[in-house]
Amino acid sequence: MGELLRRIRYLIQRRRFDAELANDMEFHREMAARAGRNNFGNTLRMQEQAQEAWGWTWLDRFVQDLRYGFRVLVRSPGFTLMSVLVLAIGIGVNVAAFSFFDMVALKPLPVRDPDSLVRLERRSPEAYSSEMQYPSFAFYRDHARTLSAAMAVLGVPPMQFESDVQPASATFVTPNYFTELGTPAAYGRLFDPHTDSDASAAPAVVLSYGFWQRRFAGDPTVVGRVIHLNKKPATIIGITPYALASLAGQHPDIWMPMPQQPYFIDGSNVLTAWNDSSVRMWGRLAPGVTPKVAEQELHTLADELRRQHPEALWDREGIQSAPGGHMQVMQPEMYQVGAMAGVLTLLILAVAGANLGALMLARAVSREHEFGIRISIGAGRARIFRQLCTESLLLASLGSVAGLGLGCAALRTVLSKSDAPKWLSAVPDWRVLLFTTGATLVSALFFGLAPALQIARQRRRKTLARQILVGAQVAASCVLLIVTALLIRATQHALYTDPGFGYDQLLSIDPQLGTHGYKPAAARAYLDQIQARLSALPGVRSVSLVRLPPLGHTVSRERREIDGREVMMYPNWVAPDFFSTMGIPLLMGRSFLPNEKSVIVISESLARRQWPGQSPIGKSMQDGNAKETVVGVAGDAHINAISDDDAVEQYWPAQPDDMPGMVLVARVAGEPGALSPAIKNISESIDPKLFPEIRQLKLLYRDSVTGVELTATAVSFIGVVAALLSAIGIIGLVAFTVTQRTKEIAIRLALGAKPADVLSAVLKQFSLPVLLGLATGTAFAAASSKVLRKALFGVSNLDPASYAFAIAMLAAIILISMLIPARRALKLDLAKTLHYD
Amino acid sequence: MKHIPNPVTPSGALPLLILRVLQSGSLHGYAIGQRIHLLSSQVLAVEEGLLYPTLQKMLVKGWVVAEWGISETNRKVRFYRLTAAGRKHLSAELEGYDRVTRAIQEVLRTA
Repeated sequence: MGELLRRIRYLIQRRRFDAELANDMEFHREMAARAGRNNFGNTLRMQEQAQEAWGWTWLDRFVQDLRYGFRVLVRSPGFTLMSVLVLAIGIGVNVAAFSFFDMVALKPLPVRDPDSLVRLERRSPEAYSSEMQYPSFAFYRDHARTLSAAMAVLGVPPMQFESDVQPASATFVTPNYFTELGTPAAYGRLFDPHTDSDASAAPAVVLSYGFWQRRFAGDPTVVGRVIHLNKKPATIIGITPYALASLAGQHPDIWMPMPQQPYFIDGSNVLTAWNDSSVRMWGRLAPGVTPKVAEQELHTLADELRRQHPEALWDREGIQSAPGGHMQVMQPEMYQVGAMAGVLTLLILAVAGANLGALMLARAVSREHEFGIRISIGAGRARIFRQLCTESLLLASLGSVAGLGLGCAALRTVLSKSDAPKWLSAVPDWRVLLFTTGATLVSALFFGLAPALQIARQRRRKTLARQILVGAQVAASCVLLIVTALLIRATQHALYTDPGFGYDQLLSIDPQLGTHGYKPAAARAYLDQIQARLSALPGVRSVSLVRLPPLGHTVSRERREIDGREVMMYPNWVAPDFFSTMGIPLLMGRSFLPNEKSVIVISESLARRQWPGQSPIGKSMQDGNAKETVVGVAGDAHINAISDDDAVEQYWPAQPDDMPGMVLVARVAGEPGALSPAIKNISESIDPKLFPEIRQLKLLYRDSVTGVELTATAVSFIGVVAALLSAIGIIGLVAFTVTQRTKEIAIRLALGAKPADVLSAVLKQFSLPVLLGLATGTAFAAASSKVLRKALFGVSNLDPASYAFAIAMLAAIILISMLIPARRALKLDLAKTLHYD
Repeated sequence: MKHIPNPVTPSGALPLLILRVLQSGSLHGYAIGQRIHLLSSQVLAVEEGLLYPTLQKMLVKGWVVAEWGISETNRKVRFYRLTAAGRKHLSAELEGYDRVTRAIQEVLRTA
């Protein structure tokens, strides 16, 4: 320890120490001269040797290398600028992607103690649900000792605010939500367990900052004002802050306390019903408790709960926990997509790095003279190698600083354009900085290592490194272009292909009968009435009923095994005229008859897989204890899994008991949006306590496609950039090769060789790497694009058209890149060239 | 000095010799060299190129400290003084050196 301190002291007071040493040695020489011994050695060398003892020579050399490297870069500004640009793009893309991932999954929410928050969901060996019943939540909250707090969130359809045409989004939360998260109020106050836990307290709502700005222009006097939600009066008690951090990124316009839910939603029994799983639960672990321990206790409690209410819980149900302190609760599929995106961005870096490596190699060769001199003076190969590595690091650092700036700027644009929570910022945190440093080192290794090794070994054959670099570039660009082509095809497919149902002219109307306490008979009566009145409206072609509406909030699916292959089955319960209303063709058999039981209609894909080559009509499927006969086959209609081509559907006839949960679907002529006011009037005249959620399927479909469109645009941009980088790299490399062999080309031409022959002689060395690169890239893309299947809207991940297009484009680019510099070589002035010997 | 200090070879024993010489008082660099030369009956001659790197290493290790003083010729020069840590190291090294030398002599005599 003391030694380290002494050495650091030397480093700081270097000049003084060195001067003292020089003085000592000079005195020594004086005395020796007096005694007659004039053995002068190399004074400087001896001094250096003495200084080496302090152990800082490596630092001296490093600083020397840096200075020299800096001078070298300044001497060739064109090369430096180009390299920094190439690196900035390569590293910038990776930084942006990682920052995004960091924001979503790694950054803790800016709330109180985010690491102890967990998201709790129902899970049994056969089933899973992200929501649970409120009474279950209350039971766990009251009995769990491993949780110091429990919060619940209940999402509801948009509610009518005063008499506004546009409904306001709303969410119910338990009164301890804001206090647990430590959210400060921007104005007024937020919910408090002491004041707002009582169902009989004065109805209170909290407004979001954005809604407050939009609707009330930021007027602070709204606090304390009485407003009407779905015609119910309530007092505004406060405003949430601008940069609100909510669990799982909820951002409703209006927040309401859970105990007052029955007040706002008439007839609702969500707080007491055991058969309605609709609240999402979060918990805070007690100090020192691990998630595993909490899960165990909750499992025991679940067993106890099942004993008390056997119909409410599944067999062997437990609670699974996931970290709740980040913006997004990560599902396994998300990790897959994330990994794929990560690989793609790394490929960009590979292209950039290989590109740069080729450029560095070319430059290193032109510096041969310089290195030759240094070696002859006595520089060790290791020394030169070290210096080249330092130069690469310097370049990489410059590139990464530029890339960091570029990536963060891009992210900031994305954040401001999208609906992201306001507490997110594009400013890099330590994780992003660490990642950038890693990327810098990796890229420095990538493009710096090969040339440095080659130069240090002074090998004559540099073609191998060149060929490898070209091959790597081509392979990486190939993968990127193929993925781009696939995504573009998928977007086209999504926009112009029929998803199996006529979404253009459909409306879904959800009266939420069950939530408002309607019993099956009353629900049946209401639905009959509203169906009749709707059908009478001009423009309405047909109306039907469905339990899980298309592109709805709730998705239910079951994993089935058919012939050893796993299939996702999407069930639904529908009225007989559902298929005609939705525009789903009945390919075989018929639809249901009124009041029919124990029959099913299956989708075409399911029929093909279950009974290949045979007619499924009359066959039966086992469902638990019941046996159900297939009466009809409907065309594929992935109404709740638009992009997944592998999904299959199965329909059951809606029974009287299902009525409270049914949703209306209406096919209209003309503009669907124009009918909303009429529908609202009809509903109000039948039952003014209901506020049905009316959604246009056309808009919902477009939203879901927009996501794919954005991704396709981003990836296309990246793919094109990669292709351009490769083109530039190849042009540079070929130009350099031609320059090197100028004399040879001139001699050949002078001797009468045909231009084509000369070209092929020069370019032959690149043909194998290019072919290998294309082959490797294609193979890699084919193998790894399986991950994309779920998002390709039915386009196969081995779609030959996309692959052919991508490969053809890349081959064309490569060919052009090679021919441009080569052609210039053919126009050489032969006499002048040969004269230059 | 690239090799590991070996207490038996002359150059490896240099730190030991310097420490021993400084035990009786601080000296400047030239005097240390002279002292060793004289005490060894002119057998060992320490060159400048070996002495100063060794002295620097001993400074790093904290066995000696350098202080300014005036030489016999009225010149300002640094005198090297033994520290407590240096003293401790010296006694430990002497013990080791004794043991090893005796062992070597035994083998040379009887083997």
